[in-house]
Amino acid sequence: MAEPARLHVAGGAAEPADPSLLLQRVARGDDAALGQLYDLLGAAVLALARRIVRDPARAEEVTQEVFVQAWQTAARYDPSRGSARTWLMTLAHRRAVDVVRHDQAATDREDRYDWSSGPDHDVVSETVTIRLEQQQVRRCLDGLTPLQREAIELAYYQGHTYPEVAELLDANLATVKTRMRDGLIRLRDCMGVEA
Amino acid sequence: MTGTNELHDLVAPYALDALEPLERARFEAHLDTCEACFEELIGFAATAARLGEAHAETPSTDLRDRILAQAASTPQERVLRTTMPPRWRRALPRLAVAAALLLGVAGVGGYVVEHQRVSEERDQNVAISRVLGAADAETSTKSFSNGGTVRLLTSREQDAAVVVARSLPSPGEGKVYQVWMVSKDVPTSQGTFTTSGTMLMKGVSSADALAVTVEPDGGSEHPTSDPVVTIPV
Repeated sequence: MAEPARLHVAGGAAEPADPSLLLQRVARGDDAALGQLYDLLGAAVLALARRIVRDPARAEEVTQEVFVQAWQTAARYDPSRGSARTWLMTLAHRRAVDVVRHDQAATDREDRYDWSSGPDHDVVSETVTIRLEQQQVRRCLDGLTPLQREAIELAYYQGHTYPEVAELLDANLATVKTRMRDGLIRLRDCMGVEA
Repeated sequence: MTGTNELHDLVAPYALDALEPLERARFEAHLDTCEACFEELIGFAATAARLGEAHAETPSTDLRDRILAQAASTPQERVLRTTMPPRWRRALPRLAVAAALLLGVAGVGGYVVEHQRVSEERDQNVAISRVLGAADAETSTKSFSNGGTVRLLTSREQDAAVVVARSLPSPGEGKVYQVWMVSKDVPTSQGTFTTSGTMLMKGVSSADALAVTVEPDGGSEHPTSDPVVTIPV
């Protein structure tokens, strides 16, 4: 019987494993390391996928694909070029966005333009412990101008292309690109990400 | 035609996965040659990933088992990196990026694979990554006005080359692009593609050039039109 899925909670009793080391073990065919990587980041990948693709079953499919893809291609991960968390979340985001665009292309695309109620800031499951890191992200997002924040959230959390974002915000393309760039620079500095 | 500065403005939308497919491909081609873009992208990608980690949701209890079960029956890719001598390793960051981009794989540091590949493709990819990882690999690129590119990466050491065509203009109804290896004016077909494709060419030591022609669907035995691209090997 496999152990049940766990959420990683910062400050918990167990020392959290280093995702970079785990991913390097995965690259050597260590499936236990894949399980641990999932324990560490599965809930975050699922939440991101859920936020973008909306449908819970589809989001789980995306999560499964992302971890299997990580298993297949872990050997490509190069720790000198960024963290394993970034690697995996980048994989997850790209997959979710591709899925939602594909699904939407296959169905009626109209409803995506009905969006009117503002970005959804609170899809957090109530079972989740709010981590300090989440609070920091929230605080940093709060530090953006409304247009920077909306541009980034529509793209990142809802999978819109920047021309779609421009249409949704009734702004021109150049403005949207600039707002995304300025917003990411501000977030990067606020989060203390090393450039 | 989008200028260099305009392409640089796409770093942020790219990091947010907010580009449309054609522009994404064009930006990735640009990324090959833009050190500043790449440096900025590393920070932006890490920032975007933090946005992604800002939430968590409880998965179904059996999702973990499903993942591990599928992994157990899924072969893994191997890369040459670990067997490379240190001299190569220093050159690797650029090569790894080039490899990632050339394979139609997106992103920073060889990050993201767009599609899961079937095992046959994987074998070919191993051969391809040998060329891409070769210390003597040389690359040359020809661009089309629509932003499409044909790239040739050659390794004398491996006696092989990789051709990567991306987002070329449509060859027209019922037509394909056909790739030829030309040795002493004699063309040998290497395969066909419609607008994008990756192919491996072996035995390039005797080749003089790569040529791409437009041919009827299914390809021709000999070129029936003038090349749209030639790249000296």
